[in-house]
Amino acid sequence: MAKARAIVKRLKAVKNIRKITRTMELIATARFKKAMDRASEAAAYTKKISELVSDLSQANLEFHHPLLEKHETEKNSVLLVLTSNRGLCGGYNSGVLKAALRRHKELIASGQNVRLEISGKRGISFLKFQGIEPSHTYTHFEDRPTFDEVDDLASRYITEYIEGKIDRLDVAYTEFVSASRQQPAVHSLLPIGALEAAAESPATQKYDYEFLPSAQEILEEIVPTAFKARLFKCFLDAAVSEQIARMVAMKGATENANEMVGSLSAQYNRARQSQITSEILEIIGGAAALE
Amino acid sequence: MAQDFRLLLVTPETTLLDQPIHSLRCTLFDGQIGILPGRMPMVGRLGYGELSFESTDGSESRYFVDGGFLQVQGSVISVLTEQAVPVSKLDAAEAEKLLEEALNRTAVGEEQSNTREKDQTRARAMLALAQKK
Repeated sequence: MAKARAIVKRLKAVKNIRKITRTMELIATARFKKAMDRASEAAAYTKKISELVSDLSQANLEFHHPLLEKHETEKNSVLLVLTSNRGLCGGYNSGVLKAALRRHKELIASGQNVRLEISGKRGISFLKFQGIEPSHTYTHFEDRPTFDEVDDLASRYITEYIEGKIDRLDVAYTEFVSASRQQPAVHSLLPIGALEAAAESPATQKYDYEFLPSAQEILEEIVPTAFKARLFKCFLDAAVSEQIARMVAMKGATENANEMVGSLSAQYNRARQSQITSEILEIIGGAAALE
Repeated sequence: MAQDFRLLLVTPETTLLDQPIHSLRCTLFDGQIGILPGRMPMVGRLGYGELSFESTDGSESRYFVDGGFLQVQGSVISVLTEQAVPVSKLDAAEAEKLLEEALNRTAVGEEQSNTREKDQTRARAMLALAQKK
């Protein structure tokens, strides 16, 4: 009887876990849809900004902005790592952290002072384990990062970069390519390099704009805005990717649990059957001995 | 062709408004501008202040806009801003607090004093609107 009972216990445990993973999958699906909607709504802003940039570039002017220019020596850099606050999302965190560690080593090897900033409890505990001391940690970015929160960070980076306290900003996060493809990536956000203009299709109508105050001043104002929009996009991408990763991981877990329930119940039936058989044999043996 | 005249109010988080309007009034970097259908294409930098528009049914809506850009392209006006708050939701006390904070801040260097000045104008514009409502 002992073996059959042990199997029943396990079966119960597996069924309970299956309930949890199934629920988590459903929640992740709902959150993913919400995050995705937010991301696509935010895309309108980024699109408009690049549209403006391409409109302005028609004016053909040379302009300079401290955020666009590379500092002569790169000594101090910041590496911002976006991980999740919660686990159970497959390889999501480890992918980002691996990419981040690689960049961290590269930067240190090139003789820079690297300041690590981490968002997400998972990343914080991982780096604590690695013995790397982060300078800032954030845990308030959940699956709905707001622009205000990101704006605080972005403004700080902008001032630090202009004041020359930092020479470079890298962000390690999970890039959202499509609903079925996300990949960990490290991107340099500062210096901005070049602002990309929207791809112009020949069909778009050309407008002869009037610029107030002037194209140059507007462009200079647009640079920090574009940077903020980009940083915000990183956060949104990370949030969407996290939900997808969790959804996929939990789907796999539920499927595995289903399989285990199947094989465990088969095992249990067999064990019970053999127990009954041996009991009958014992009774028959006993009866035969009495005759 | 009043229906064709549209206002798009876009913030980084969402597209706040996308509706046909009659006319628009908003604050540029140096003062107010009014836009009626048929305006020549333009791109402008917004200041901190009021954005109000008359919708097609004749009602007027007012927003506080936190800097950004204005683009008029044919019959579509796009307003890109970091933050847009309906005037009815502005809080005068909070705006006053912001102004107080900006006035009392010590700034070192050009960069910081610029930001302080910006924060002051922003808080003043917010306060003025909040008191007017």
